[in-house]
Amino acid sequence: MDRQYNDLTVRVSLYMVVTFFHGIFHEESGYMIKTDVVIIGGGATGCGIARDLALRGVHHYLVEKGDFANGATGACHGLLHSGARYAVTDPEAARECISENAILRRIARKCVETTGGLFVRLPGDSKRYRDTFLNNCEEAGISTEVLSASRAIDLVPELNPSIEEAVVVPDCSIDPFRLCMLNAFTSRHKGGGILIHHKVIDIVKERGRCTGVKVLDRFTSQIKEIRAKIVINAAGAWGDTLARMGGSDAPMTLSKGSLIISNHRLTNMVINRLRAPSDGDIIVPNEAVCLAGTTSIPVDDPDAIEVDPREVDLVATQAEQMLPRFGTTRLIRAYTGVRPLLKAETSDSRSISRGFRIIDHKNGMFSILGGKLSTYRLMAEKTVDAVVKEFGIKAHCKTADIPLDGQDELSGYPLSKRLKSIDNIVCECELVDRAQVENAINSLGIQYIGDIQHRTRLGMGPCQGGFCTYRALGIMQETGRLTPDESIEILKQFLQRRFRGIRPALWGDQLREEQLVESIYLGILNMGQQA
Amino acid sequence: MSAYEYDAVVIGGGVSGIMASLTLASGGFKTALISRGDPVCCLSTGCIDVFSHSDEPLGGIRALLPDHPYSLVGEKGIVDALCFFLEIMDEAGLPYEGDPGRNRKILTPIGSTKNTCLVPQTMAHADMSPGEYLHVISFQGIKDFFPSYITSRHRNSTYSVYDAGVPTTLGIAARFDDASFLDAFITWLRGLEIPHDRVALPAVLGTIDPASVMEKISQAIGRKIFEIPTLPPSIPGLRLFRAMKRVMQKRGIHLYWGKDVTSVERQGRTVEAVTLATTGRAKRVQGRVFVLATGSFVSGGLFAGRESVRESVFDLPVTVPGERKDWFNTDFFSGGHGIERAGVRVDRAFRPVESMIDNLFACGSILAECEIMSLQCGHGLAIATGVAAAKSCAQELS
Repeated sequence: MDRQYNDLTVRVSLYMVVTFFHGIFHEESGYMIKTDVVIIGGGATGCGIARDLALRGVHHYLVEKGDFANGATGACHGLLHSGARYAVTDPEAARECISENAILRRIARKCVETTGGLFVRLPGDSKRYRDTFLNNCEEAGISTEVLSASRAIDLVPELNPSIEEAVVVPDCSIDPFRLCMLNAFTSRHKGGGILIHHKVIDIVKERGRCTGVKVLDRFTSQIKEIRAKIVINAAGAWGDTLARMGGSDAPMTLSKGSLIISNHRLTNMVINRLRAPSDGDIIVPNEAVCLAGTTSIPVDDPDAIEVDPREVDLVATQAEQMLPRFGTTRLIRAYTGVRPLLKAETSDSRSISRGFRIIDHKNGMFSILGGKLSTYRLMAEKTVDAVVKEFGIKAHCKTADIPLDGQDELSGYPLSKRLKSIDNIVCECELVDRAQVENAINSLGIQYIGDIQHRTRLGMGPCQGGFCTYRALGIMQETGRLTPDESIEILKQFLQRRFRGIRPALWGDQLREEQLVESIYLGILNMGQQA
Repeated sequence: MSAYEYDAVVIGGGVSGIMASLTLASGGFKTALISRGDPVCCLSTGCIDVFSHSDEPLGGIRALLPDHPYSLVGEKGIVDALCFFLEIMDEAGLPYEGDPGRNRKILTPIGSTKNTCLVPQTMAHADMSPGEYLHVISFQGIKDFFPSYITSRHRNSTYSVYDAGVPTTLGIAARFDDASFLDAFITWLRGLEIPHDRVALPAVLGTIDPASVMEKISQAIGRKIFEIPTLPPSIPGLRLFRAMKRVMQKRGIHLYWGKDVTSVERQGRTVEAVTLATTGRAKRVQGRVFVLATGSFVSGGLFAGRESVRESVFDLPVTVPGERKDWFNTDFFSGGHGIERAGVRVDRAFRPVESMIDNLFACGSILAECEIMSLQCGHGLAIATGVAAAKSCAQELS
């Protein structure tokens, strides 16, 4: 319990970070901004590039159409791979992972929970695969320790008692949202500009060269132009669209991966299935919950993805083979993201390399494609290496040596103190009070309900914002940031979006909760009839 | 094990179970009611929605399919049951008013209006014509009530905020039970010199006797007062439940409160008794007939697994619309989700079909095809089917 609330506090103090960003919203009012590099995409890669540029002294702007971690970064497992998952199928990715794993534990202490991971072998899983696995891990430099079933169950009591054995590897749990925020913090600290909720609507070109971007401020509907010498396309699944805007292309294979969230933290270690990578073979503990996934289904359009109830069944069935309680515990939500994989001939998206590639389009734009969260820093390093070469600057990458800025402010304090200082609770599930919500709205200038949720954990608990979103929006319109009509409209959009995440996993207690929420909005508030 | 014997045993302490037991008790039968705890009705608006989906409740009901539980009750049965409910509430000291033939409007906390049929007296003045002058009273720090939602939608409206010292609706309502708090509030209210005809408040006018609280305020400032039902926990819902419970106690219905049915004893096609888990010895409750009024998913009468739906007490066959992917539409606001039709199917006597039990009757939201959310008919259906099922029981008993 303590941990959960400590982390909550940590997130709350992240307000500070955003306060800095808020400053820049006022600096540019419609006129043109000039910089050296403009980065498109506020996921881990984009934020990592911003920090790397900042530490090498290159002026830059980052633009992101949503909040941080809006794409694949925010829709993944939150797993800092040891590389063991790839040891058999993709040894190069495995080596990259273990080296980045060590670096991130060092530089991003407040984002990483060193849980350790287990690869569990169930009856029927190949023993030969296990031998290859151990051998390849050793070659890649990934430490392993084979445990008997009973020793593994001592470590994780909820494990399926019929497992054959388990292998300990240095997997960790990582908070992708916080990781992005802290990377962006350094950037802003060193004079970089971070514009979230700014969507690129066009790439500015002069004589065939990309010389900047036009962005739409989603809140004010204002169009801004940012001129730069280099444009970095770190837009993940949207990368090809952006490359095409710049007059080139960035072929990718898009693969949808869906995950489910359990209401309880059923394990303190990452649990993997000891077999060839497949659907639903990873469970990651994260704060008070567990995430299980994923599926891998090719898709065309990253904006048109939904979780299919069959994916939920598939992942839940696989997860309960490793942790039987996954079958009976309450699932609070399902979500899905799109992996931007390197283009490959194969139609099986699992066998495509998780490696990355940097494309110099030779028109002032660089695209960074593929990769994964665990290697975001390395991807950023290689991208910035290519960019500074273009500028003729000799500046070495420092991101592996300097811990992320802003972590010192992330100090938690115990639940006992926290409960004492909390009154007038807005979100009962996650203990967020009115003062925190007002602070997010007033001092950070937050305009979007989703941004409040990311920064305070409001609405992240079992009711999934069923009660508190109405309250948070009520508070928002009382501060005058929104008109009452606007806030009701946002509430409707929120309920619709929330339902998309909940619907595929509706049974048991979560179904009861959902019907209660329905009775509030469609019954007591009668929002169905007037929609 | 201690054993207790009754003519009728009702399982479920919500509106339908209570109405069924009151009907049985007025027929002179020795009746017991078993409930796991305070019912879901405590989360409701406290108003009786009979069929809020259309303006004319009875007209809407007439258009329903023959397998809808309302159709099994019939129009006369529905009206009689609602009249019986009104009598009960008069007796309980929490009078309701309304006309089964016509819906009226109440105001919601977001300033919209909502159809309902029978309302407690404190909401009688909520049905106002557009453009009428309205003053809204809110309370300092109250969580679920934002008066600007109402004033922004009603052009001739204004609001003021009173500091009750607590932010929750339950806390504020409890203060209104105290005469000195009420006096101070009235003094403040007088000072406002409200020019408007009507004054609306969130539903916090006491937990026990809201009608006299309202009357006192109304006389002091000479305005029409009405309440706006808020989000759960809802004070009007709580009052409704407590008032009905008082009448049950007065009528000698034996209450087993906070008790779970742990097992069922059957002899051929007859249920002989149920066993209750209690602290200390288990209790065996024996009855000649049983009424199942355990409600739907929220109250736990039905439980949805990943693939199927189960009935919690007797493991009765449950009608389920399709596979899980068909249970919910993709649109949150469209209503009419398939899962709303899940439940126990009954014959015209409210006996569960294919149950192989002859002395069991079911009523309320556990019934198949009721579609309570999309038709907005929760309490009305509970009252109508509760009374109807009890009448079938009475026939069986005599």
